[in-house]
Amino acid sequence: MPLTQGPVPPATVLIVDDDWDFRESLGSYLKMNGLRVVQASDGREGVRLAMAERPDVIVMDIMMNERTEGLFALQSIRRTAALRDTAVIVVSSLYADAAGFSISPERAWMGQDEFIAKPVDLTRLLDSIKAHVSRRGEQVAVQERKEEA
Amino acid sequence: MKILKLPKQQLDYFASVLQQFGEVHAPVKRQGKYVFARLDRWSDAVLEYNRTILPPKKYLLPPRETMFCYRRGTGYAPASENLDRKIVLFGVHSCDIYGINILDEVFAGKYPDPYYRTRRDNLTIIGIDCTPDEHCFCRSMRADFVDHGFDLFLYDIGDYYLTFVGTARGDDMVLASKTLFEPVTREDIDEYKRRSEAKRRAFQLDVEIRDLPEIFEMEYHADIWEELGKRCLSCGSCSMVCPTCYCYDVVDEVELGSRDGRRVRCWDSCLFSSHALVAGGENFRESRASRIKFRFYHKQRGFVAEYGRPSCIGCGRCIEACPVKIDIVEVLKMLRGAEDGATA
Repeated sequence: MPLTQGPVPPATVLIVDDDWDFRESLGSYLKMNGLRVVQASDGREGVRLAMAERPDVIVMDIMMNERTEGLFALQSIRRTAALRDTAVIVVSSLYADAAGFSISPERAWMGQDEFIAKPVDLTRLLDSIKAHVSRRGEQVAVQERKEEA
Repeated sequence: MKILKLPKQQLDYFASVLQQFGEVHAPVKRQGKYVFARLDRWSDAVLEYNRTILPPKKYLLPPRETMFCYRRGTGYAPASENLDRKIVLFGVHSCDIYGINILDEVFAGKYPDPYYRTRRDNLTIIGIDCTPDEHCFCRSMRADFVDHGFDLFLYDIGDYYLTFVGTARGDDMVLASKTLFEPVTREDIDEYKRRSEAKRRAFQLDVEIRDLPEIFEMEYHADIWEELGKRCLSCGSCSMVCPTCYCYDVVDEVELGSRDGRRVRCWDSCLFSSHALVAGGENFRESRASRIKFRFYHKQRGFVAEYGRPSCIGCGRCIEACPVKIDIVEVLKMLRGAEDGATA
């Protein structure tokens, strides 16, 4: 049982995308809806910020400075013990733009928790983020109960 | 063997798909040299390189590894440090794959080493063709082409890589890549043969190895060993960078003030003065000349008797790493009497 019961901090969302407009507009929308937002403009910075900020949800683009950058960043996240269980929503137009790359994003081979195609429906994305935050909260509570027992 | 082709422009997608099979590692440039390292973006991979500082053996026999821990009261606990780590090693030259095949014979053959075996099972190898430089003599050592030891092997044929599928895992990788691979045409085969012939002609170094064990037998007392002993610094650089040097030392590291500890093995070299030092202070190879001679004899003669081929793969790393410029090709040529100042 915690000694003091303070206000619950807002959930943190890390947006990894090289498109400044997209990051800013999505970031403003998420902040308006009570979420804390951090931003990274490439995969490496994304992984570094994920380690530093430990976000609840990561919104990851795929085609950034390199067209497979998000795929490599996602794998780094999945292979880092501290980040392995962080929810990652891939938001990308990869499958609309990439000729000859016909592997379905619906298969979780990339390691994503969810795939949402660009152009993105902000309401749907917000619902997804909230669902992942809520699921993570439940997982943390179960873990804490286990540790207390 | 299944043979397909992969468009070069799709290589980054292919590398992304490979991540299902493990962490993707490839040669990357560091301070003017190349090293195998984990990729965090595809553009870091350098597929046209001469040689990495350390060969792929570092993935199979780490320079230092804990074998087990022991603790009073609880007994032994086997170490599993990184043993389950799945790695896809992308861009391995044929000579290095040949080197892994030699390590397989030693560590996964008659007396299997469980640590090596586990790491080997978790290592996926994607080979890539190369262009020989001034230190390469893998063709002399019959290591310029490999027919096994890889999961996939890529040959540059212009806009495509001709891809040899070597294992079921390699086939799984092709299947996971869906439409990235295409069937091979007659023109692709002709281009492969043309480039293969051009590579054969590109070798600048050549050494005949057919009767080398017999020449070593006859030259056991040659002056060259004393001369090399005077030059050699016993630094062990040649052993460290050698893809097939596998000597190791085993030490128990006991924690201060207790009887708990761990057993550790780490790379060793037959050139180190302590390598043949035994209890009681006897050293079977006390002089530097005897140690460098031993290294040459083990690689070029002893290994042939045991496994039917020398354990040298002709990668040229030892030539590049030696601080006093001892050149294995020159030594072999001198032994053969092919150059002046040859033998006693």
